[in-house]
Amino acid sequence: MSAHRLSPLATVLLVLGAAVMLAPMAWTLLLSFKSNAALMADSGAAFAGPYTFENYAAILKGSLTLQWLANSLVVATGAAVGVLVLSSLAGYGFARLEFPFRRTLFVIVLLGLAVPEQAVILPRHQLFAWLGLHNTYPGLILPSLTGSFGVFFMTQYFRAIPRELDEAALLDGASRFTLFWKVLLPLTLPAQATLGVFTFLAAWNDYWWPLISATTSDYFTLTVGLASAQMNYAQTSGLGFLMAQAVFASIPILIVYIAFQKQIVRAMAGTAVR
Amino acid sequence: MRVPLSGLALIDVSKSFGDVPVLERVSLRIAPREFIAFLGPSGSGKSTLLRIIAGLETADSGEVWLDGERIDTRPPGARGIAMVFQHYALYPHMTVRENMAFGLRNAGVAKDEIARRIAQAADILEIGAQLDKKPGQMSGGQRQRVAIGRAIVKQPRLFLLDEPLSNLDAALRGRTRVELAQLRTRVDAALIMVTHDQAEAMTLADRIVILDDCCIQQVGTPAEVYTRPANAFVARFVGSPPMAMLPGVVAGEEAGRVRVRLAGGAVLATDVPAGGLVAGTEVDVGLRPEHVRLAAPGEEGLAAEVELVERLGDRTFLYARLADGAEIVALEPGFGTLRPGEAAALVIDAAAAHIFTAGGAAHHPEPSA
Repeated sequence: MSAHRLSPLATVLLVLGAAVMLAPMAWTLLLSFKSNAALMADSGAAFAGPYTFENYAAILKGSLTLQWLANSLVVATGAAVGVLVLSSLAGYGFARLEFPFRRTLFVIVLLGLAVPEQAVILPRHQLFAWLGLHNTYPGLILPSLTGSFGVFFMTQYFRAIPRELDEAALLDGASRFTLFWKVLLPLTLPAQATLGVFTFLAAWNDYWWPLISATTSDYFTLTVGLASAQMNYAQTSGLGFLMAQAVFASIPILIVYIAFQKQIVRAMAGTAVR
Repeated sequence: MRVPLSGLALIDVSKSFGDVPVLERVSLRIAPREFIAFLGPSGSGKSTLLRIIAGLETADSGEVWLDGERIDTRPPGARGIAMVFQHYALYPHMTVRENMAFGLRNAGVAKDEIARRIAQAADILEIGAQLDKKPGQMSGGQRQRVAIGRAIVKQPRLFLLDEPLSNLDAALRGRTRVELAQLRTRVDAALIMVTHDQAEAMTLADRIVILDDCCIQQVGTPAEVYTRPANAFVARFVGSPPMAMLPGVVAGEEAGRVRVRLAGGAVLATDVPAGGLVAGTEVDVGLRPEHVRLAAPGEEGLAAEVELVERLGDRTFLYARLADGAEIVALEPGFGTLRPGEAAALVIDAAAAHIFTAGGAAHHPEPSA
């Protein structure tokens, strides 16, 4: 990577921007190491000791936070894996197979991009209630799998792979499945990584649907769980614990970001992933 | 049509894309180990024909037979055919070795046999050091060799090469052309190469199949298609610069040979037998540049004006226009001195002239014994 020289002004602006972004996180981190009692007296006490791990110890002992973390992991992983499998198969189909109403179906998929979740949330709630899917993992995961974006994204990616490769594989005696599994799918790995990370993060951060679907705290995801903990004057009586929960909840996300930062940056920059 | 027990046979192959016909009842036989070039302009159907043989396109009608077996009903992988694609189509995520092994694995070839064939092909193509590289780490020329290697290891009965040299720079193209010529001596298979470059076709192929307008225009050795083109299209398409076509009228015959009066009034005594060409028939006289030269000082010649001069160093082509408006190309050895706009006197070697009638049929000179 070439070293870019920034003008002093740009450096100052970037540092300021970074400071604005980092300040709340640093504040959260500081508060999480203070006892609830000390913060009840004065939240400004965060700038001075004594610091303590008691809030984190409370999370690991007894609280439901670990369960919510597990729920979030199951839901986000399930959503990511499900979306990858479905989108890859559908994308390959739309990009490479000839079947009746292919164009019409693809247009319908595209139209799906324009349907906001708010428009379908009530019927979905009723449907899931009728199916008995509320307060289950499938109930939390399934709505993520209905998104059109992944199908559209993978279709475009498959389309960008030269057809000569398919033809070479067919002449090499590959079956349709071998062609898909051994030739085309490996070439979509960069797209899979991008789509997988984004789906995971979106499911992880989702608040509204788990709020509706998970009504017993056993099935809360972290977002819903943390929000529920804010009730009942938690911000005054349990501020340190709340902040520790927030920090705790962001650790998995941090890991995903660090592990996949290349894919995330590429996807954000919109450059072709090759 | 009887199907030969060896080699490739195409029988009445037709194909159209929607309403657009691409091939109409194309029939062709290719001997085992023969090197064939499909030559034609863009859209002539040459690539489609190749893809039908490979099984990548399905013919609307007609049959394809290879070594006495009908193959057009089989999937591409079961035809005993290997293809080198224009853009190589190497699997980018596999190493060179995996690229070559892929087809063999699909065919269930034993592991040690795969290793043996790859080693052999790598040896022939001198890519032994690259076997563990991926295509993205290689130059265009090396990729080309890998693509050929991937075809060789399959030990096919027929090689198909789709514009194999079009992606290479001029220097590499010359070298690869030599390698392709060597390839055919090393493989026990027929080769079909699609090209729009006549120099490739002329230098490599045993026979050239010239396609245009959905049909085979001529099948012949490079010498045949050059010296005895089947029609005006082939005459103009093969040879660079193309054969000049001078409009004229059959003026009569002399000693069984046709005399043609050109539009400008000059009469050419050709060596074309008179049979079938009656006086008064409108014809085109076909002349290659090497049969048109500048008049020597004091020699009489057709008046022409030079329009374009193409200096190649060892020879110079003069693109000129006769007084009657017909375009003609003359060949001058060495580095010519004439410039565009200048007048020239041209001498035509009438004995080498071809005659084409309005329907495009060709009449060739036949020097009397």
